[in-house]
Amino acid sequence: MRNVLRGSSLVVGLLFLTTPVLAQQKAVALRGGKLLTVSHGVIEHGVLIMENGKITALGAEGSTAIPKDARIIDVKGMTIYPGLIDSESNLGLTEISAEEMTNDLVEMSEEIMPHMHVYDAFHAESELIPVTRLNGITNAIVAPDSKDTLPGQDSFVQLAGKSADEMLLIRDIAMPLNFTGDQRRNVPRDKRKYPSTRMGMAAQLRQAFLDAQDYAQHWADYEKKKSETDTKTDEKDKKPPTQPKRDLKLEALLPYLQGKKSVVLAAEEASDLETAVNLAREFNLKFVLNHISYSQPVLDYVATLKVPVIVGPIYEAPKPYERYDAVYALPAQLNKRGVKIAFASFDAHNARNLPYQAGFATAFGLPYDEALKAITLNAAEIWGVGDKLGSLDIGKTANVIVANGDPLDVKTDVKQVFIAGQEIPMTSRQTRLRDQYSGQ
Amino acid sequence: MNRIAMYLVLLVGFSLSAFSQQLPSAHNEVVIKNAIVMTVTHGNISNGSIYIKDGKIAGVGKDVHAPASATVVDAGGKYLTPGLIDSHSHIALDEDVNEATSPITPQMMMIDAFDYQDKAIYRVLAGGVTTSLLLHGSANMIGGQAVVIKHKYGLNRDAMLFPAAPQSIKFASGENPKRVYGSRDQLPSTRMGNFEVQREALVAAQDYMREWDDYNAKVKKGEKDATPPKHDLKLDALADVLRGKLLVQIHCYRADELLTEMAMAKEFGYKLRAFHHALEAYKVADQLAAAGIGIATFSDWWGYKQEAWDAIPWNAVMCMRKGVRVAIKSDSDDFARRLNQEAGKTIRYGGATEDEALQMITMNAAWIIGVDDRVGSIEVGKDADLVIWDGYPLSSYGVPNKVFIDGDVYFDRSLPGFGMPHYREGE
Repeated sequence: MRNVLRGSSLVVGLLFLTTPVLAQQKAVALRGGKLLTVSHGVIEHGVLIMENGKITALGAEGSTAIPKDARIIDVKGMTIYPGLIDSESNLGLTEISAEEMTNDLVEMSEEIMPHMHVYDAFHAESELIPVTRLNGITNAIVAPDSKDTLPGQDSFVQLAGKSADEMLLIRDIAMPLNFTGDQRRNVPRDKRKYPSTRMGMAAQLRQAFLDAQDYAQHWADYEKKKSETDTKTDEKDKKPPTQPKRDLKLEALLPYLQGKKSVVLAAEEASDLETAVNLAREFNLKFVLNHISYSQPVLDYVATLKVPVIVGPIYEAPKPYERYDAVYALPAQLNKRGVKIAFASFDAHNARNLPYQAGFATAFGLPYDEALKAITLNAAEIWGVGDKLGSLDIGKTANVIVANGDPLDVKTDVKQVFIAGQEIPMTSRQTRLRDQYSGQ
Repeated sequence: MNRIAMYLVLLVGFSLSAFSQQLPSAHNEVVIKNAIVMTVTHGNISNGSIYIKDGKIAGVGKDVHAPASATVVDAGGKYLTPGLIDSHSHIALDEDVNEATSPITPQMMMIDAFDYQDKAIYRVLAGGVTTSLLLHGSANMIGGQAVVIKHKYGLNRDAMLFPAAPQSIKFASGENPKRVYGSRDQLPSTRMGNFEVQREALVAAQDYMREWDDYNAKVKKGEKDATPPKHDLKLDALADVLRGKLLVQIHCYRADELLTEMAMAKEFGYKLRAFHHALEAYKVADQLAAAGIGIATFSDWWGYKQEAWDAIPWNAVMCMRKGVRVAIKSDSDDFARRLNQEAGKTIRYGGATEDEALQMITMNAAWIIGVDDRVGSIEVGKDADLVIWDGYPLSSYGVPNKVFIDGDVYFDRSLPGFGMPHYREGE
């Protein structure tokens, strides 16, 4: 640990010591950079002001007033863009993949586990978090692993904060419903158990939602009887009804049955996609789609659903009968049909590479602006935080990235990350090892 | 071992004849013009041309002298690089990468498992890779002998083998052998056990060599009743390690194990070609450089197991600056399709130059495989394994437009279907 400061450059060391004070009291002005606003185009030589954790002004240099007491950071030659949003990760649920005791990814004892809450396991001090945010990723959906049909509930996090409480911006933001076939309990063969087929998966899901509907009805009946009893004037009519037992599992499904929150519906192949969509419709679930890597034959149908798609990862290998770029081109194909897309890492250690996936998709026809939106504003809108995140706009949270070039390119080095206006120390376990062995 | 050498000679002979049958003669002379030629070894040539004759590079420069009859390919101002080289791949092996029934299996020949119809060969070709070293897995301390292929998808098996490539042997260390055998209550289950098993095997090989030396000496002296020792494929292979006939490629993560492997090589008098993964190489880069051992590493993969916990994305460039020959490899069906991006990351993590980044997926990888005199750069006399790129290759946007191997086009993005002139589904 003694290398934290010794190993860092002097500048970073100073920032580390002075940041909390400055960010609280003084406005910070980034002056001279190229602003990729995402929402309203590019400002070539721009100024961006951050105050009290928010973006308070931005515009062209010269025509944007900089508050007198603002600390001015010259970012000439730099590119400034909103913090990137990973629409599905396992950050905070794993540390070393092969070391089981460091994993809290998914409960495998049952397939229907909607009462598992990511926030109960989210490890705020994970070494993976600084590594990820150093690449400009400031927010992420944290989801349980997809080995259950209903593995639990996602949280939306900010990748900086003193504690899990500060970082967990929205708990139980959405619930994955996985229908890719990987949720079957059919391997190895001699340990096969229900559900070992897609039919079993669907039947089990259907039963779970029916049980939850019944459960909701029991409570509604109870509440109705109780209020009727309460209004009775005669003392002998006031015999209260029996309160149903609480069932955390069924309770967890209610916001989704009531359409208050979205289910994240994961399927890969067209047949699974259609089964999953039909299931969601059967119970009037609101949903966004996830993956659909092998649903190329039904993209027109996908467009008719008018729901966003968390796409990919586009690095999924195509089927043997498909052209090499069948999955690479999926984001472009969806975009062409007017489908709103967002990218996700579906990873933890490699979540930092999220922007490169967006960049790569442009090589297969996705327009650049749409690629950038798919890891910023689209994601923010899909997760209901479009008023706070995802673009450089006045009033939004000051999650702002300073880099020496194109955010989607592997060559680009992220120089500074601001999260809620705070200048994040550009250090991680990895930079400390680098500095220790660089003899600095 | 002679048997194996013979086998290879036979294969090579066969592959050459098979190849010439399938190569259209019209392509014997080709000129690619109007390209930004990234030679790797002597800088970039803007508006450059390459003259290809009989599958070899016969001219490179602003202008080349070629007969008017040569086929002309206009690169349209795009970047042109040598074919990429993956120095650590497990594709096309139908998952038969580990004979995990014994920790020492040097007699396992990858060629015997090579599945030349695996579409992964095509997908990787479409990513600009023309040569791959197909290695055993890391379940065993000594896994077996590798095969080097050219990605000529659509040809027959033997036509895909890299002609007369040196033979590599794969060693491993660390977590994988101890996990595989430890989980069965077998030796090895610790790093002590790992190295003991390796040392034991090498000692047996020394004994075996001595027996043969004794026998050969007796024969030379004319002793008629001398009985030859029993041929043992496993010990033959290990003897070839000790004789320096095989390129030793070692899967190894931790710095202490890199040093132990080096010490063992010294103890038994064999040379190491490269450490693979080598995620902690940056901690002992001086020693690796001094010993002339290369590394084939990831750009930024980390944390997937304990021995990958100290991995840092600056590893490649930190080692290179200390004089280690560094390759970026895939070890993955996925990364192999975009090695160019992985190499591009070294520009960001540590400030590799364009040439240095490109070397890591061309020349340096070729050196690790032992074919750097044949491929890995654009120079006269080398194989015409070339990639024309859409976009800048060392970026998120670089995608192969055309891939040539031995002067012939094996992938062309502009073609419909799979984009392969030599392959049609179902034929």
